[in-house]
Amino acid sequence: MSAMTGIIETRNLSYSYGDGTLALRDVSICLEAGRKVALVGPNGAGKSTLMLMMNGILRPSSGEVLFAGQPLQYDAASLRKVRRAVGMVFQNSDDQLFAPTVYQDVAFGPTNLGYPAEKVKKYVGFALQYVGLSGYERRPPHHLSGGEKKRVAIAGILAMEPQVMILDEPTSNLDPASSEEIMEMLDELNQGGKTLIISTHDVDLAYRWADEVILMKDGDVIRRGSGPEVFMDGNLIRDARLKLPMVVDIYQELASRGIASEGKPPRNILELCDLLQPRGSVGDGSVGKIYICDADGSDEKQILAIMDKVGKGCFKGAMGTSAKLLAERCGIPLDFTYGVIDKCILKALIGKDALIMTSGGMVEHTMKRISDYGRESGAVIDAVRLQPL
Amino acid sequence: MHNLLDDYAHHNALRDVSPRLKLFIGLASMLICVSSPYPAAPLFVALFLSLAAVLLARIPVRIYSRLLLLPLSFALLSAGVVALMQGEGRVLLQMQLLGIDLAVRQEGASLALLLLARTFGGMCSLYFIALSTPMIEIFATLKSLRIPYSVIELSMMIYRYIFVFLDQAARIHSAQVMRLGDAGAKSSLHSFAMLASVLFLRSWEQGERLVLAMDSRCYDGKLNIMEQAGKATSLQMLIVAVYLLLASTIAVLGRGAFLL
Repeated sequence: MSAMTGIIETRNLSYSYGDGTLALRDVSICLEAGRKVALVGPNGAGKSTLMLMMNGILRPSSGEVLFAGQPLQYDAASLRKVRRAVGMVFQNSDDQLFAPTVYQDVAFGPTNLGYPAEKVKKYVGFALQYVGLSGYERRPPHHLSGGEKKRVAIAGILAMEPQVMILDEPTSNLDPASSEEIMEMLDELNQGGKTLIISTHDVDLAYRWADEVILMKDGDVIRRGSGPEVFMDGNLIRDARLKLPMVVDIYQELASRGIASEGKPPRNILELCDLLQPRGSVGDGSVGKIYICDADGSDEKQILAIMDKVGKGCFKGAMGTSAKLLAERCGIPLDFTYGVIDKCILKALIGKDALIMTSGGMVEHTMKRISDYGRESGAVIDAVRLQPL
Repeated sequence: MHNLLDDYAHHNALRDVSPRLKLFIGLASMLICVSSPYPAAPLFVALFLSLAAVLLARIPVRIYSRLLLLPLSFALLSAGVVALMQGEGRVLLQMQLLGIDLAVRQEGASLALLLLARTFGGMCSLYFIALSTPMIEIFATLKSLRIPYSVIELSMMIYRYIFVFLDQAARIHSAQVMRLGDAGAKSSLHSFAMLASVLFLRSWEQGERLVLAMDSRCYDGKLNIMEQAGKATSLQMLIVAVYLLLASTIAVLGRGAFLL
């Protein structure tokens, strides 16, 4: 497997706690750069232990961890290098946010990397803007909501420009909308080239979000693969004290009744709908358009003009922090704030038009996602990129 | 977990006024209170700063008076004792309690009054700082006053985790009350002891997690300190100067009205 370009690799990694209990046994995995990886497994499966080894917080009892092909060294200077490149967001934000203000907390990493004051300020400003919390600099963490705390924690890691971000249970204790927003932000980061590793109990989340799922139990990796590869095996999942993702569960019941064809299970609601209602049998067969509006470089007046021109009767969605903030400033009511592309494709398939506000690299990503969908399903949806008026 | 002093400090109308100026007013007022030999100056300080807190910083009157009531009740009690114990001079009031002769004499009475006024003025000065200046601004001011860095760093983290532990203490307390941990004096005491010990253990664990969190972010002995907010305008400085001048004048000359 040496041909694979692994950014993080573990070789025969074992770890036992002081009292002799083995938390990890002989784990050998190789994670490729640029992917979205989910570690799933029951409590005590060793997910957190494995994560804490990836940035050198825990030192293996035997075996080794490699970062970009180099075995981890445990002297102070090498550890600093690795921890800068592999950022870690803890499950409980209060563990992570220890400074008295948002600014100070986000500035912590850059300051300790020895950046000059001006550069620290620039990086903090950038990170806070990215997570949508510009203007929160002087707030103390105890005046923030759970979702805001998580964003600050992510900003604190972002300000150090890591290549890999590890997030321990990023959605635990968050309300559904906040969780979706955090996961969408992680998608955006992944689009920007970062490798993401999360741990979670939420099988639905792991199934639809991750490129690669690593199933762990009792300190072992018992299955690795894409979501469908891992989650199709009901016995394995039950053994690991997890449950099937809802979409897979529904699909299996439908397939056993002959309603859906056996084969590849759907990844999400869009694919499930396609499975049940193949192309051509929907409505009168006419397909709606999806307009994509770049929120970067458009001011409020331009956006409102666009809304006037094409926005009437459209379903509207916004992706990414800056697009959502812009929509809020313009007073545009949004129909979708997460899972936006899929929702808009679903609406287009029943002949309705939809408009997506997003920014930067996500515009290209959205266009590509829609055309990929057209190629795979045969339902070609017109994606129109709106130019500022 | 709201309506802590800290919340007012963050949201009052004087939030953006130079923290140095506010600290200076508070500390100078306190000095005037303790050094004035007559009660007039502390009472003037109390009046001025209370008006400032209520009218300028817009702290609700109800909250402000409730805040003052607690220390004031202690001060009243001790002033009463001082009045009875102290001094010479004309007897102002005499009574018998359980066969003991008690008398309030002139010297004792004026000392009690002075004590009360000083406590009151001092409390108002302290509340003025606490209600108008968030701790983070005070940290920045401490830094510019060349207080040793490790002291400031430590106090910043203590400040941050006060709220985490306050939250945990409140949750443990509700868990106890839910299961009737507050029924009767004995079980209340027992519950309190448990709360304290659990909180101690949790803070220990929190400390270990804190080290992990700091290490993960390349801790190298540096914690940023916010920059100073707001500079004092000349009008503000003029007002403060006039107020302090008035207060010190009263402190020196203010004998007449309060001679008993």
